Amino acid sequence: MIVGFSSSIHKKYEGSTFQLLAETVSKALDMATIDLKDIDGIFYTVLPGVFDGKASLHFSSFQIPSFLGIKPKVIELVEYGGPSALTMVYRAEKLIEVGEINTALCVVGGKASFLRENKVTVDAVDRFLGNVQLTPYDDLFRVYQDLNPVSDYALVAKRHSKLFGTSDEQRALIAVMQRKNALGNERAMYKTPLTVKDVLESRVVSDPLRLLEIVYPVDGFHVFVVSKHQRKSDLRPLKVEFYGESHWSEMPPELPDIVYTPAVESSNGVNLERIDAFQLYDSFTITVMLQMEDIGLTEKGKGGEFVERTDITYQGEVPINTGGGSLNVGQPAFMSGGVILEEAILQLNDMATNHQVKDANRVLINGIGGWNRGHSVTMVLGEGNV
Amino acid sequence: MFEEIKKKYQEMFGNEKLPYLKCTRCGHSFYYPRDYCPKCRSRELEVRESRGVGSVFSMTKFRDRDNKEIYYGIVELEEGFRMYANFIVPVEIGDMVRVKFLGKESKVPFFEKI
Ligand SMILES: [Zn+2]
Repeated sequence: MIVGFSSSIHKKYEGSTFQLLAETVSKALDMATIDLKDIDGIFYTVLPGVFDGKASLHFSSFQIPSFLGIKPKVIELVEYGGPSALTMVYRAEKLIEVGEINTALCVVGGKASFLRENKVTVDAVDRFLGNVQLTPYDDLFRVYQDLNPVSDYALVAKRHSKLFGTSDEQRALIAVMQRKNALGNERAMYKTPLTVKDVLESRVVSDPLRLLEIVYPVDGFHVFVVSKHQRKSDLRPLKVEFYGESHWSEMPPELPDIVYTPAVESSNGVNLERIDAFQLYDSFTITVMLQMEDIGLTEKGKGGEFVERTDITYQGEVPINTGGGSLNVGQPAFMSGGVILEEAILQLNDMATNHQVKDANRVLINGIGGWNRGHSVTMVLGEGNV
Repeated sequence: MFEEIKKKYQEMFGNEKLPYLKCTRCGHSFYYPRDYCPKCRSRELEVRESRGVGSVFSMTKFRDRDNKEIYYGIVELEEGFRMYANFIVPVEIGDMVRVKFLGKESKVPFFEKI
C-alpha cells in the first residue's frame, strides 16, 4: 500500500537535481515514518537531458541510491515516460506481495528548466546535446522542422478535427474546466479563472494547438513510498484494483491511425461504472480527449460532444483532472505521471482541500507517454472493497 | 544490411527518387529503414522507388525562430506507406501532393501540392 508521498515543484529550482530529489524523498519518508535503512526497493525513471542537463547519468541505478544513501535489494528503471510513476507503484506492490521486498521508493521527476531555457524538449534534445540519436531513423526525419512533441500532438488534433468535426472550442473546454479545478488546488501554478475565449485567443503554437492547451515543463519530483507495513501512516490502505499496460511500438506515421492511443488496450476490462474520479494524462488538451475516448467514457470521435454536455470539474458528474492536472500544476521533467498519481491519492484520502470530490473511493488514473504516445498505463486505486 | 539500405536511400535521394521498402514475402511496405520486416520477420526486402505521389494524412503549421511559417505533417504515399515531411506550401488534410527534393549537397524529400 502507499504509505507516504510527496512532491516538490518549482518553475526553476536553483540547486542541484540531487538536492531537489533528496528533499522530496525526505518529506515522503517522514510521512511514511520509514527510515532509509528500511527501503529495500527503488523504482525510478530518468529522461535524457533532465538530470542537471546531462544526457544521462552513468549508471543511474548506482548514482541515485548512492546519493540518497540507500542500499536496496531491488533497483528498477521504468522508462515509459509519462506513465512510469504508475508502473513503479504497481511493480512495487507486486514484489511486496510475493515477499521479494518490504518497502519501495518510487521516484519520478528531474529538472526541465535547463532544456526549457535552451528552447528544446526531450524530443529535440539531439539539437542541443551533441552526439545524441533519438531513433535509428534520425537521418530520415530529423532533417525536417518540427516542434515535437507539440507538433506531433498538433497532427493528432488536426486529424481528429478533420475526421470527427472536433472544434477548437471543444478542446478549449477541457482547459477551462481543468482550470476551475486548479483554482482550489494549493499545488497549482496557474490559478486565475480561464474562459474558452482566453484559450482561443492565446497564441497558436502549432496549429491547432494553442499556448493554453499545452503543459509547462517545470523542475520537480514526485516520490511515493509503497510498503507492506503501514506503521504510523494515516493514509487509507490503497491497493491497485485494476492495472493494464499497452505499448504500441510503431512510429506515428506507421500506426493504423494517429487518433488512437494504446489506452484502448491498457484500459481493456476496466469497469468505469465504479469510478468516482479520473486523472487522465494531460500533456495537451487533445491528450485528455483521446483518453476519454480510448478508455470508453465516450465513443471514438465523440470527445468533443462529451465535454460539451459533461461537467468534468471536481463537482461535476464525471470529475476529471480534479486538481487541474499538469496543465495547471506544471509538468516535472516532461513526465506528468506523478502529478496525476498524487492527485488520485489526495482525492482518496480526503486531502484535496478545496477541490475534493465527494465520496471518492475509487480513482482511475491513465498515463500516456514515451516516444510519441507509445506507452499507456491504466490503473485504478481503491481499498479493494467489492 | 541496415547500413546498405540507408546508403541506398541516400543515393536515391541524390537522384531525386523517393525510396521505400517492400517485403517480398508478405507484401508489407514501409519507409523507415529496417533490415527485417516488422510484420513477418522476413529479411527478403527490396528497396523500391515510389512514384512520390500521395495525400496529406495530417499537417500542422507553426512559426520558426525567424518567424517563417513551417508546414509539417505526415504524407500517405500511393504505395501504401506513410512518412513525416515538410510541405513547401500550405496544405490541408486530403490534398494530393508530390515529392520535391530540396538541398544541394544532401537532398531531402519535401512535398508540394499537385
Ligand atoms: Zn513481411
